[in-house]
Amino acid sequence: MYVKKLWKLINTWQFLATIAVLVVVAGIVILCVFPKQVGRIIADLFTWFIAAIANPDTAVVNLKHTVLGFFPESWRPWLSHVCNFLPIVAVFPGLFALITWAERKILGRIQNRYGPNRVGPYGLLQPIADGLKMLSKEDIVPRAADKVLHFLAPIVLVVSALLVYSVLPMGRNMTPANLDVGVIAFFAIGAISEVAVFIAGWASRNKYSILGALRGVAQMISYEIPLVLSAVTVVMVVGTLSTSAIVHAQGGGHWFVFTPWGFVGFLLFFIASIAEVNRSPFDIPEAESEIIAGYHTEYSGFKFAIFFLAEYLAAIALSGLGVTLFLGGWQAPGLEWLAAWLPSWIAWVPLVIDAIFEYIPSWLWFLIKAMSLILLMIWVRGTLPRLRSDQLMGFAWKFMLPMSLINILVAGIWYKMVEGTTARWQGVGAWLLSAAILFACYWALSTFGFRQVVKKREYRDSEGKLIATA
Amino acid sequence: MDTAFAILAFITLAGAMDAVFFRNVMHCALSLILFFFGIAGLFFLLRADFVGWVQILVYAGAVGVLVLFAVMLTRHITADQPYQLFGGGLPGWIMGFGTALVVALALIWAILRDPMLARTLKEMPTSKAELLGRQMMEQYVIPFEVVGILLTAAMIGAIVLALEEARKRR
Repeated sequence: MYVKKLWKLINTWQFLATIAVLVVVAGIVILCVFPKQVGRIIADLFTWFIAAIANPDTAVVNLKHTVLGFFPESWRPWLSHVCNFLPIVAVFPGLFALITWAERKILGRIQNRYGPNRVGPYGLLQPIADGLKMLSKEDIVPRAADKVLHFLAPIVLVVSALLVYSVLPMGRNMTPANLDVGVIAFFAIGAISEVAVFIAGWASRNKYSILGALRGVAQMISYEIPLVLSAVTVVMVVGTLSTSAIVHAQGGGHWFVFTPWGFVGFLLFFIASIAEVNRSPFDIPEAESEIIAGYHTEYSGFKFAIFFLAEYLAAIALSGLGVTLFLGGWQAPGLEWLAAWLPSWIAWVPLVIDAIFEYIPSWLWFLIKAMSLILLMIWVRGTLPRLRSDQLMGFAWKFMLPMSLINILVAGIWYKMVEGTTARWQGVGAWLLSAAILFACYWALSTFGFRQVVKKREYRDSEGKLIATA
Repeated sequence: MDTAFAILAFITLAGAMDAVFFRNVMHCALSLILFFFGIAGLFFLLRADFVGWVQILVYAGAVGVLVLFAVMLTRHITADQPYQLFGGGLPGWIMGFGTALVVALALIWAILRDPMLARTLKEMPTSKAELLGRQMMEQYVIPFEVVGILLTAAMIGAIVLALEEARKRR
């Protein structure tokens, strides 16, 4: 047994060693043929590295400019757009792999078991093993399936999931496509994923797929309304649809989540985003015990992996949008208001913490916040049971929609009431009024919205005489 | 600019023609969605960014899904329908093409008469969503409210129809 293991290991090392030797030989050849260019490239990269250590905030933007400098002048306009988007395709699928590992580990610990722990140290190579497994599986297309549509659906889904990242501000000056109408663009591209889900279900020509696709599309449409309406409150208060402007408006630690309408809006947005990506507790369209696998039943191998990838990418993108709209985007949390309240001998502590926060680069803040939202999604998945289809729809239309409409009203009231005050965030009356209205609405909806009229059952004996009622 | 217009026009026309010519009704609905994307592209060419994105959000995202649902919920769609080019016979052929020709000529005449064609704008400014919103709320607020009432009436009508069906079923 150990001989077999060793043999496999030697073969792996052989493979890796061949690749390494090829790369080194290619490098030496390039070095000999183009010494001046290679020297310039190495010098530029070294300069970038030194600057990145000193100021990690602008490191990514500087890297892009450095890489652009390697290429001729005429290529730079379109190459700039490519370089804006290429890091997304490079980073976020890697993040997806990490998240799948984290999810399985965390779910395992919630369920009082270890997660994957065999494949690497702490199971860290599990995503690689999963990826290789998916790649090596046979790609089965049902004979009656619509071949073109069956092939097209996962592609449209993953393209839509990747494209929405282009309007997210991932750091200072790091929005890949700085549109003036970023928020609308996000939701428009997200709307394409519903069409893709429907195509996937229909093209499989399978009853369970069609049912799952119908349920999935109905769920996605229903939860898209509270999602967009809670984003509308932020757009209303800031006055622009541009995502980078929304992040700039939350400077100084004044994140929108710390306002009454922002808090409710954030909760609505978060719940709606869990429902949009068909995650538990809203995963009726793809639950294994309910409908096999819903709209991706008939997909095997890499196409299934693409559905999986698209779902997690959409989850990260929606978390990113939630961070942008409500949690201050790439802004570090600001604590200087605390320094004004504390006595002078301890007032320097928040300022020192602030300085540390400012050193942490803005793109790292964005990642930290988005990943904490993802962790919250994983936590919710491990904790709450699955909602039934009618409960799901009832929740969206009877609770979340009225709540988000009242939230827009309250955001308007709050904005108008604090408009006159010197510090926009200190209108106590506005806070109390907004919180009161929102709480009243929540209480009313939860008390009167979900009443179920249950008739008492009547138990009769064989002659029809009433025995008992319960 | 012209290359972009040629490509987008080709996509739009291909989508529109395929929506009529395909045999499988699902494929027709999906090429209609492609057509909507082409129109959105033309909006972007005209520097109407907001309208273009809303076109994708509303038409490709919502109306397209509505058409797909409608196609799916009607029965006996699974079989490919045979394509009837001369379904109405020769008179149908003449009437159809004649109507299309008349409408096309009228449109072309109306467009070529437009005085806007003589003006050439060197640099078209991008329309801002804020201006659109302001105009909708100040100058065109009554048509805005009327459209809102229309949509509400349509929703209430749909709910009434569904309620009647539910009552009948019971």
